[in-house]
Order: sequence, then C-alpha cells, then structure tokens
Amino acid sequence: MTLLETERVIVAPSRRGTTPRREGRGRGGAGYFFVAGYALLLLAFGVFPTGYAFYLAFTNDRGQFTGLNQFVKVIQDYRFAPAFTHMLIYLVMWLVTLVVLVVLTAVILRSRVRPGTSALFRFLYYIPGALAGVASVLVWLFMLDPDVSPVSWLLTSMGLKTFAAVLAPGNLPLILMLIAFWTGAGGWMVVMYGALNNIPDEVLEAARMDGAGPWQTAWHIQIPMIRQWITYMTIMAFATGTQLFVEPQLLQTASLGRVSPTWSPNQLAYVYAFQQGDFNGAAAISVVLLAVGLLAAALLVARSNLFTLDEK
Amino acid sequence: MESSPSPRTGRRHSLLRTAAVTLSLATTAVLAGCASADTTTDSSSGQSAFKPAAQKEGSRITVWADSTRLPSVQAYQKSHPDVKMKIVTYDGGADGSTYLQSKVQLFDRTGSGWPDVVFGAPTDVTWASEATKPGGQPFAAPLDAKLVPRSTLDGFAKGSLTPCEFNGHTYCMRNDIAQVLLWYNKPLMDNWGYKVPTTWQEYEALGEQVAKDHPGYLVGSVGDTNSHESYFWSGQCPAFNLVKPDTLRTDLRDPKCTRMAKLLDNLISAKAVATQGFFSQGFAKNSGSKVLMAYGPSWYGQYLFKAGFKTPAKQIAAAPPLAWKGESTTATGNVGGGVWMVSSHSANLKASTGLVTWLTTSDENQATAPTYPAYAQAAKAWLANPANRDYFANDVSKPFEQAANEVWTGWSNTRFSDSTAWSSVVLPALTAGKSLTETLPAWQQEIAGEAKTQGYKVVDQ
Amino acid sequence: MTQTALFLTAVRRRIRPSRTLPFLVVGLLLALLLLFFVLPVIWLLLAPSKTAGEVVRDNPLSFGSLHQIGTAWRHLFAFQDGAMLTWLRNSAVYSGGSLILTLAVSVPAGYALALTRFRGRKTLLVITLVTMIMPQATLVLPIFLELNRFHLIGTIWSVILPFSFYPFGVYLVYIYFGSSLPRDLLSAARIDGCTEWQLFSRIALPLAKPVVGLVAFFSFVGNWNNFFLPYLVLPNSEQFPVQVGLNQLLTSTPSFNPVAGAGLNVTIPELALAVIIAILPVLVLFVFSQRTLVSGMLAGASKE
Repeated sequence: MTLLETERVIVAPSRRGTTPRREGRGRGGAGYFFVAGYALLLLAFGVFPTGYAFYLAFTNDRGQFTGLNQFVKVIQDYRFAPAFTHMLIYLVMWLVTLVVLVVLTAVILRSRVRPGTSALFRFLYYIPGALAGVASVLVWLFMLDPDVSPVSWLLTSMGLKTFAAVLAPGNLPLILMLIAFWTGAGGWMVVMYGALNNIPDEVLEAARMDGAGPWQTAWHIQIPMIRQWITYMTIMAFATGTQLFVEPQLLQTASLGRVSPTWSPNQLAYVYAFQQGDFNGAAAISVVLLAVGLLAAALLVARSNLFTLDEK
Repeated sequence: MESSPSPRTGRRHSLLRTAAVTLSLATTAVLAGCASADTTTDSSSGQSAFKPAAQKEGSRITVWADSTRLPSVQAYQKSHPDVKMKIVTYDGGADGSTYLQSKVQLFDRTGSGWPDVVFGAPTDVTWASEATKPGGQPFAAPLDAKLVPRSTLDGFAKGSLTPCEFNGHTYCMRNDIAQVLLWYNKPLMDNWGYKVPTTWQEYEALGEQVAKDHPGYLVGSVGDTNSHESYFWSGQCPAFNLVKPDTLRTDLRDPKCTRMAKLLDNLISAKAVATQGFFSQGFAKNSGSKVLMAYGPSWYGQYLFKAGFKTPAKQIAAAPPLAWKGESTTATGNVGGGVWMVSSHSANLKASTGLVTWLTTSDENQATAPTYPAYAQAAKAWLANPANRDYFANDVSKPFEQAANEVWTGWSNTRFSDSTAWSSVVLPALTAGKSLTETLPAWQQEIAGEAKTQGYKVVDQ
Repeated sequence: MTQTALFLTAVRRRIRPSRTLPFLVVGLLLALLLLFFVLPVIWLLLAPSKTAGEVVRDNPLSFGSLHQIGTAWRHLFAFQDGAMLTWLRNSAVYSGGSLILTLAVSVPAGYALALTRFRGRKTLLVITLVTMIMPQATLVLPIFLELNRFHLIGTIWSVILPFSFYPFGVYLVYIYFGSSLPRDLLSAARIDGCTEWQLFSRIALPLAKPVVGLVAFFSFVGNWNNFFLPYLVLPNSEQFPVQVGLNQLLTSTPSFNPVAGAGLNVTIPELALAVIIAILPVLVLFVFSQRTLVSGMLAGASKE
C-alpha cells in the first residue's frame, strides 16, 4: 500500500461520523493540545523554511518565476554528476554497513554479553559520537596520515605510504563511510539496545524453553520485534547519507584542500548558497536531494507500516 | 483495518495528479518564457556612486578581526580611548571560509548589522566590491573616494593594492604581502660548494646536482595547497588572468606555463622536488632537516623553517627571486596576505578609516607584525626590527624589498580561490604518479569550470 | 492470539537443534569494533601530554608528561582572554535551555501522535519526516530571516528556539509509545474515566523514562555539537558556543594556518585539550543517564 492509501484508510472512518469505539484511541481534542507546542515549532522551523526553500527553487534572485530552469542549471553544473555519483556509492556502503553492524552488535550486547560489560562496551562505542566537527578534523588528520598514525602499520600494509596516497579520490567513499560510522554507529547501538531491552523477558524465556538457540531467537523474535526501530534507523541513515556534508567538509579542512569542496551534493548546495551567493540554485539542489530521500522514506514507511497504529 | 473503495484507482489518481502537475509546470516553463535562472551579475557600469550612510560622530564602531590581528586592534583601543569600539573575532577567511561573505549577504537582506571594519582575505574583496542585489550598495567602501589620501595609497608596495582595485576604485588596504623568493640553507650550500642560483636554469641544474650528490635533500616542494603560487605565479603563467572584470583568461598551454611545468617535472623525477607538502604532518619529522632550498613566500623563514622544521638560527638565508636567463624582467609570486576593509554602511567612517590606516601604515603597529607589511614605510620599520631579522644567516632586507616590488600583477584576484583547482585536481594527480605537464589540461579545465560557475566568461587568448 | 504467541508458533515450526556460534567470532567482532572506536580517542587523550613536536615525532600512543598538560591548559585558557570558558558557558546555556523546551514539547507530541486520534495526525507525521530529510544548507537562510523579523537576532532565543525543534526526538517518542505501551492499560484507564492528561502524566510518562532519557540525551548532545546554526546566527564572538569556538581555535593553529597561528600558542596539544574539555559534559551525561537510557520497564506493568 502506498503512503497516500494508508492515510486514506486511517482517516476515512472518521469522516463517516459514526466512529466505532476503538480501544486504545483517545479523543481528538486532547491530541491537539498535546501537539500544539511541537506544531508551532514545526511550522516555524520546519514548514516555513522548507516552503521558502521550495519557493527559492522555482524563482530567481529577482523574484521572477523560473519554472524548472533552476533545476536545469544545477544539473548542467559540471560538479553535479560527480557529486551524485559519490553520494550513491557512499550511500550503498553506508546503509549496508550501518544497519548490519548496528543490529548485530546490539543483539550481541543484549544477549551474549553480561550487563556490566555490555554497558561498558556501549559507552566506549558511543564516545566518538560525542566528537563532532573540529574534534573529528583533528583526530582524522592524524589517524589517516601514515607518518603519525597509531595504525600506520595497517595503512602501509595496504600500500598507502603518505597522507596524500590515503586520500586518493578512489578511497574517499570508504574513508568517509568509516568516519561517519565511527561517529554515528554508537548512538544507534544505544537506541537498538534500548529497543531490544523492551522486549518482555517472558517472550525470550518462552523461546528458550522451546529450545531456540540465541541466534534463532535473535533472527526470528528479537529482530522482527524491533523492526519499526530498524526501519526508522534505515530511513534516518538514508537521509543522513543523502545529506552528507560534515565528513567530506572536515576531511577537506584536515587535508588542506585535497578533497574537493563539492564532493557531496549537500556541499555543492552549500557552495551555491554561501560562496556563489546563489540561494536559488542551492534550493534546487536541496529539493532534488529531498526528493531522493523522500522516495526512499516513502518506500520504507509503506513496507513497514511505520505510520499505522497497529493493534497488539 | 477497513479497506477503502479501491486502492488501485486511488494510486492511479495520485500518480496522474503528480504527472499532471509536473507536465503543467514544464509547459508553463516553456510557454510562459520563464525567467532565467542565472543570478544577477551586477556589471560595473550599472553601479551607483558611493553614498555614505548618515554619519554619527563618535558612534561606536564594530571591528571584526581574526585571532592574530586581535592584539593590534586592542592596542589601538588602548592608545585611543576616545574611539568607541566593539571587537569581534572570527576566522578571518582562513582555510577558504566564506563566513564574512555569508554574514554580509544575510545583513544585506535584513538591511542592518554590518560591521564597520573587517579583516579578510583578498578573495573577500572580489564580492565586497559589488552589490549583492541590483540597486544595492557594495559592502566595501571605496577608500580612494575622499576617505584615505592618495599619498597614503601610493605608499604601498607596487602591485600590493591590485587585489583591492575594482572598477577603478580601491576597496581595501593591504595588511601584509607574502612575496615569493628563494630560501636556502647557507651552511649546507657553503659546505657543499654550491652557488646560490640566480636564474631558473641554474636552479634546475642545481637541483639535479643535489639529487646526484646528496640524495634525499630537496630544493623545493609542490605538494602544498599554495605551491602553484610560488612557482607558476612567479613564472608569469596566465592561469588566472582577468582581461576584463568579468572575463578570465586561463591558458596553461602558454610557454610560460609549460616551461615551469617541465622544469618541475624534471626535478620531481630526480627527486629533488617533493610532491609531499612542506606543511604535511609527516614532512617535518621525516625530511625537515633535508630541505636545502625552498622557493616560497617571505613568511617561510619564521613559520616554516623556524616554527615548523625547527632549523637552528643563523642557517637559513634569503636570496632574491629567480629570473629566466635571457629575460630582463624578473617577476615573482605572492602567497597570501590579508586586507582590511571599511564598510560602506558605516556610520562613523572617520573612526573606521583612522583605525584601518593605523593598522596598515603605522610603524608602531607594523614593526612588530607577524608578517611583512605591504606599506613600504612600515616594511622598512619591520625590517629594522631585530626580531624579524636575527634568525637568518644573512641580511634579508634586500631580497625582501626587491621581491616586494616584483610581484606579477597578471595573476588576478578572482571570486573563487585559486587553490581549490590545484589542491583537488593537480595534487592528487601528482600523488598518483602523473607528471605536471600531463595534468595541465585537467587543471585548466577545472579552473575554467569554477570560473564559469562564478559567472566569469572564460577565454584562453 | 497475541503477536508474541504468533511468533512463537512460527518459531516452533522451524526449530532445529541449536548450534551456538563460536564464542571466538563474537569476541573478535567486539574487539575489532572496540579498537576501531576507541583507538583514535586514546590518541586524543594522550595528545595534550606531549608538545607539538612530540605529537608528530614520538609514538602516537605514548604518554608525554603531566607538566605538558599543565602548559597546554594554560595556553588554552589564555587564548583570547579565557574565551574557552565563555564558550563553554554559552554552550551550557543553549543546550540546557533548549533541552527543557525540547522535552516539554516533544514528549507530549510523540505521545499524542502514537496514542490519540485527531485530524491531521498523519499529516503531522509526514511533514515531520519531510523536514528531517530536507538538507540544511537552504534552511538556514529562511530561519535567519524569520528570527530577524521577530527581532531575536543577538538574543539567546535565536539559538534556543531552533534547537528546541527536534523532530528526531518526536519520532523516537512516537515509536516508543506506539510499540511498547500496552493499549489495554490505557483503554482500561479510559473506561475508568481518566482524562487524556491524567493518562499521560500518571501512566504514560512514568513508563516513558527510557525514551525521555534517550531524547534528552540526544537532544542535548545534538545541540551541544551543533555548529552551523550558531555560526551563522550569532553576531558576537562572545556568544559563540564551544563548537564554533573550536573552529576559531582551529584556524589559529599553525598546522592549519601557518601564519595566522603565529604567536598564539595554540598547537595540536592545545587543540586536543580543547576538544577533550568540550566533550566531557557529554560523556559525563552519558554515564549518568546509562540507566535511564536502556532500562527495560514494562515487566509487570500489565498482565496478559
């Protein structure tokens, strides 16, 4: 079912007037009160800016309507195609690595490791997540330079003898994925661990009594029961993948310019906005990225029924 | 879950709707003759004359400086307590930051908030000298329009104000210049009986000699983000030559470019010139003591050899820039140098220009400045300061002054940094083992591409 | 039949004799991940104990001297007359202030989206998702214009208000309430005549400690690390949070800016120390919120 259909299905009954008494649903009025504060902020910092960006994408800096000309212009930019190619390669590596390793590690930390050790591991895996921006620039400037890195033996064994060799354009998707994983995976592991923790013990007990081994329990019970969290993580990972900006930007600073300042499409949008002063072109690129991200989100949401309030 | 009437028609409905919307947009675009998507490029002819804002005598001025220039501004505040200043620090445009440009754009949109005095990079003047929207006023004030006396502006080193000059006006005052010259290790040169080269041909020959006699020792590096300014600018290669305000000539097939590329290729394959940058982390550790010569800016002395390589005092010496044998004129390059601008929206132009003039031209400030001042008189005071000279093995005044007057003005200040193309295209190619000569076309293509996105018309003649 | 019972039936049909994966493989994976995540951090922790030269020359994982840490500390806090302290204080104000607002706004919203019906519920979810996927570069300009229109530029609200918009958190609460809270508990309470507010404050909120902890933590960290918005919106360097300040430190380091770094005494060790100080609050918060972040809570809350 598509997103639109699911919505129609849910909304339809209320239009009929006679609402059958459904368990687990509250009355409408209270709902409005609860979301009021958030809705205000959403309007101010979500809807209005996004709407304005859409407006910019279809006009020029004199306010005249340009139809699809902004999009034509940015697509013809010689940096557009390389940026999107980079992003696609990166996205594939990033999604697969993140989802597989995070879920696997979360399951291991929940089921195969003692709670105390598990907590320690979670903390240690999370620490890089606290390092953002400048911190990462500094750390990776040194980690990737075979002359000064603690893992220089690893780099030289791969034939990379200088910092410049490590940053060869072909290696960049992998390096950026590693940096993004280093900062991002820890947080998601914490979330997945929490999700796994919410599975009632009796379910796991019952499975154990039936003779299911830990991996069977994981594959058939635990993972399916956290599928909404996994879907959310995949959507967010896809979104952050399309919005890739911080890692290539920091690598550009750390490498003193060896990495192109428009490696990812989001960087290109930034250059359009703040270097060329062309907010309209930047908005056009952002809308393209948004479309790609939304497509994936819509597919994932529809397949997993993330928006439906299912009965238990 | 209750089912809606027919899911399939619902889906088809929405698809049709989306298709209809897209089609109508596209049709409108074609039929209605949609406006162009290009940004408004304000040509010089359409610019209005400078109209200062209403002046409020004695009002507070806001000064934006970087961390290095902050002490100078604070010193001015101390010695001029009657001038009310608010000092704000920011990154000063370092490492390609476009902070100043972004903020000024935002201020232009809201109509207020501009600082009165800013320290920036030369690239900043390229956009600050033009209005960001039609009918607007450029951020930078034209200092030659009765703000700073002509005599003061004439006192700057030849060519140092060129990055400030647009549309016949001078929009900034140059803080310092980084004239390129030849650095060498005097004891080593004396020990090995080498003569300090005065021409490029001699430099090449010496490099090949050093590679044979003392392998591992270097006479230069091309691996830094600004190495091209040391070599190609000095070689007068027309890579960034603005023939008209909006027309950029970039022609790397010019003999002046190819001969420099050939020279460097020779030395690179002889391993006399490094493709690893002087400033990369590992270089100082591995090869810092093996740098026999370097061709680079005046600040290499203190900030590369002394601070970076920790070369002991009285070893490094400076020599004037190299010439090509058989040619009468010498030209050299420039690697950096900051500028001070005064906002055209300032309500206290007197205090603002007073501050900027003091910062750039006074001996009091510039004698202890970290780098070589652009103002000729201040430069003399800088050279007279023992702290700036004692480290060196010879008297650096003559080479510094000579180089300061030889900076080639054919390498223009453009709206985009000249380092991006070099760092992201040429340096990786060199790392991959390609030669400079075979990378020249790719370099030219990248420069042309960048220029076009910034609204320049690109020619190669 | 409940969902869990359904699952168990499915599993029963597929059970084979269990074979546990070798402990070695699991251990290896955990150890490799540990090395990957922690080694760079160890390097960072050791860097302030060495001088700039030693950081480059000596073994990356060697310890220098305690004296050097003291020197680095002095240099760091002398930079621009103690700017580091000002930046840290600003970060605390911005992140702490927006934390309170975020929780006050996001938790009820997530609850309502998951457990109540009202028109526009689905629309809200979709719009939230869209705004989360929209790239940031173009959003900053409209936000700046908005803030300016309401004369908020230069005040702390120009940072706190945008920070309080946290759709990621709303979704976390939404998923949590949607998947973990037993419906029958709420319907029983509703039948008993409880108002929605009582349901929320007396039943849902106490059971939501884990997700509240999660949202609080991630919100605080996200805002503490946010660079771009404060960078563009704040006019005064004294109002900068620590992330923007770190950026300024970076451009004053000779490794990144050979000339501008002159005489400022900010080199790699000082920068590393600044980074460590900047992330300490986050790490301390993590340690303290470990329990609320991951505790299970529904055991015994309802009888099936």
